[in-house]
Amino acid sequence: MKFTVLYGTESGNSELIAEDLGAKLRETELDVEVADLQDTDPASLGADRFVIVVCSTHGDGDLPNTAIPFAEAFDAALPDLTGMRYAMFGLGDTFYEATYSQGSEHIDRRFAAQGAIRVGEYGRHDASSWDLGSDVALEWLPGVLEAAAEPASA
Amino acid sequence: MPGSPGPQIAIVGSGPSGCYLAQALLRSLPHAEITIIDRLASPFGLIRYGVAADHQHTKAITRQFERLFQAGNVRFAGNVELGRDVGLDELRAHFDAVVLATGLSADRALALPGGELPGVIGAGTVTRALNAHPDEPTTLPDLGSDVVLIGAGNVALDLLRFLVKAESDYDASDIADPALERYLGSPAARVTVASRSDAAHAKGDAQMLRELAALPRAVYRLPDDPGSALADDGALDRAQAGRLAAVEELVASERPAHPGPAVTLRFGVIPVRILGEERVEAVEFAAGDDVVVVPATSVITAVGFAASDPLAELLADHSEVGGIEPGLYRTGWAKRGPSGGIPENRACAKSVAEEIVADVTSGALPGSETRLGFDGLPADVRAASVDYAQWLRLEQHERELAPSGRIRRKISDHDRMVAIAHDRA
Ligand SMILES: Cc1cc2nc3c(=O)[nH]c(=O)nc-3n(C[C@H](O)[C@H](O)[C@H](O)COP(=O)(O)OP(=O)(O)OC[C@H]3O[C@@H](n4cnc5c(N)ncnc54)[C@H](O)[C@@H]3O)c2cc1C
Ligand SMILES: Cc1cc2nc3c(=O)[nH]c(=O)nc-3n(C[C@H](O)[C@H](O)[C@H](O)COP(=O)(O)O)c2cc1C
Repeated sequence: MKFTVLYGTESGNSELIAEDLGAKLRETELDVEVADLQDTDPASLGADRFVIVVCSTHGDGDLPNTAIPFAEAFDAALPDLTGMRYAMFGLGDTFYEATYSQGSEHIDRRFAAQGAIRVGEYGRHDASSWDLGSDVALEWLPGVLEAAAEPASA
Repeated sequence: MPGSPGPQIAIVGSGPSGCYLAQALLRSLPHAEITIIDRLASPFGLIRYGVAADHQHTKAITRQFERLFQAGNVRFAGNVELGRDVGLDELRAHFDAVVLATGLSADRALALPGGELPGVIGAGTVTRALNAHPDEPTTLPDLGSDVVLIGAGNVALDLLRFLVKAESDYDASDIADPALERYLGSPAARVTVASRSDAAHAKGDAQMLRELAALPRAVYRLPDDPGSALADDGALDRAQAGRLAAVEELVASERPAHPGPAVTLRFGVIPVRILGEERVEAVEFAAGDDVVVVPATSVITAVGFAASDPLAELLADHSEVGGIEPGLYRTGWAKRGPSGGIPENRACAKSVAEEIVADVTSGALPGSETRLGFDGLPADVRAASVDYAQWLRLEQHERELAPSGRIRRKISDHDRMVAIAHDRA
């Protein structure tokens, strides 16, 4: 499988996690890309790569600044994501009770609406927990890879 | 490290802007040798000494920077002050590039008649004391029964939260207990928050206001003699509407009466002068065509920050670009002025890193094989400095000493901090 790890970040936590996930994947996979959502053309996404999105929450349950141009480009020219499989890892902070971890969901909804299929558990990191984001994400990854390895059914 | 191929870069200041800059530089210049110096024994600037002790979730960003200092080619050199222990020329002689990431730590003065009266206190003085900053006394001045808070940005709202909270609201924080106890020994009975803008256009975040509304403390009201609209008639964006809704929630008649101070929120008022003979007694505000006089036993000004030290001249004008001249740059609050939260320093650092990398690439910043970086600094400065491993020893000590209900007890004496870091205590 080919992997693309995309991150949306404002204070850098998602980027660090994305890099760590990328490094972990490279231990066993040959083709792994890590990219900022800011530098990603939605039209470049498709069924040929497994996509992992690591994205935080800012404002009031909103996307982080660096992910906003991606979302806008996505909406302006909806890509066909039929058959693309992806996993989501959302960052947030339970301190923001009402909007906890909603940032990544803005991407998740867009992907799903265009025919992509989310695989595995929806990963989350809570900044109030003091767990290191990368630790949580690296624990979450094997479950996703296992689910990804199963033949697409639904 | 001498003889390494990459440029030697000194970053002065280990707050978020300095740390983000080091991160960004390492990405483009993986062979750079970076030294982050700080006048304090501890890294992280206002993350440790500004961000409120009861907002530990915000302080969690330091987890990201720990990685940076463990990277190998980023050195922390605490207890090294530019202007005291090393001069700018000296730094520039030993490093290919020097970046000022020194923040802006002086309280902006409230230039009003009476502004110098005893009892008028800058927000930085209070927030530093509550965070056990080595530059402040370990306790707070007496605030008295009637506190007037001038400003309604996030720092003012941090202070308002402090003024209304009870002892039990600091669980799992690292608040400086002597300062807290001094205040809670005779807490304010009345607090007035005075904002020049209307509620919708005030600077504080809606989330900060909602946090106050959710706290079972204090009673909020708008003054009976308003003259102050919550919002002008113009269309509101989402942030403004959110702020307005949060203020309405605070003053809503359905909000139960809670213990704590009676808080009056005055929007659209402009402080004119501070009244008092020996010390502050009241603040006079202009509210439209009216004059409002609010009695005060103390006034806390939270109206922004300015440069405090010999660097003031270099940093006086805020700038769009980081370059001051080839080889000398600035980032963070030292570049942009005292506004924006921690994440904004990341975007800022990225653009300054790009400038530096462009200068390295274009040859505008000629690297020199002979520059020694940290190793070129005088031996006594190097010996007195606190490296990252030594900081971790100090940090461990603070955590072990934490009283119950606290996650750490900060040491507020600089020399003791250094001694503990150096294992000489
Ligand atoms: C009271 C307060 C509360 C805040 N709360 C929040 C919050 O909750 N969330 C948020 O996102 N943002 C908050 N902010 C804003 C945030 O702190 C700033 O955006 C950020 O700290 C600016 O980073 P900086 O690195 O430019 O400056 P600083 O964090 O001030 O770092 C500057 C560093 O330089 C060092 N230094 C200064 N002069 C010298 C010298 N001559 N030699 C050597 N070292 C020197 C200082 O010791 C310090 O470590 C708060 C700010 C304040 C004032
Ligand atoms: C100004 C601000 C607003 C935030 N708003 C939310 C929010 O609405 N909901 C949430 O779950 N987390 C919120 N967060 C928490 C961040 O999502 C969390 O700190 C995350 O780790 C940041 O990741 P990043 O560094 O990749 O941007 C907010 C953080 C900041 C600084």
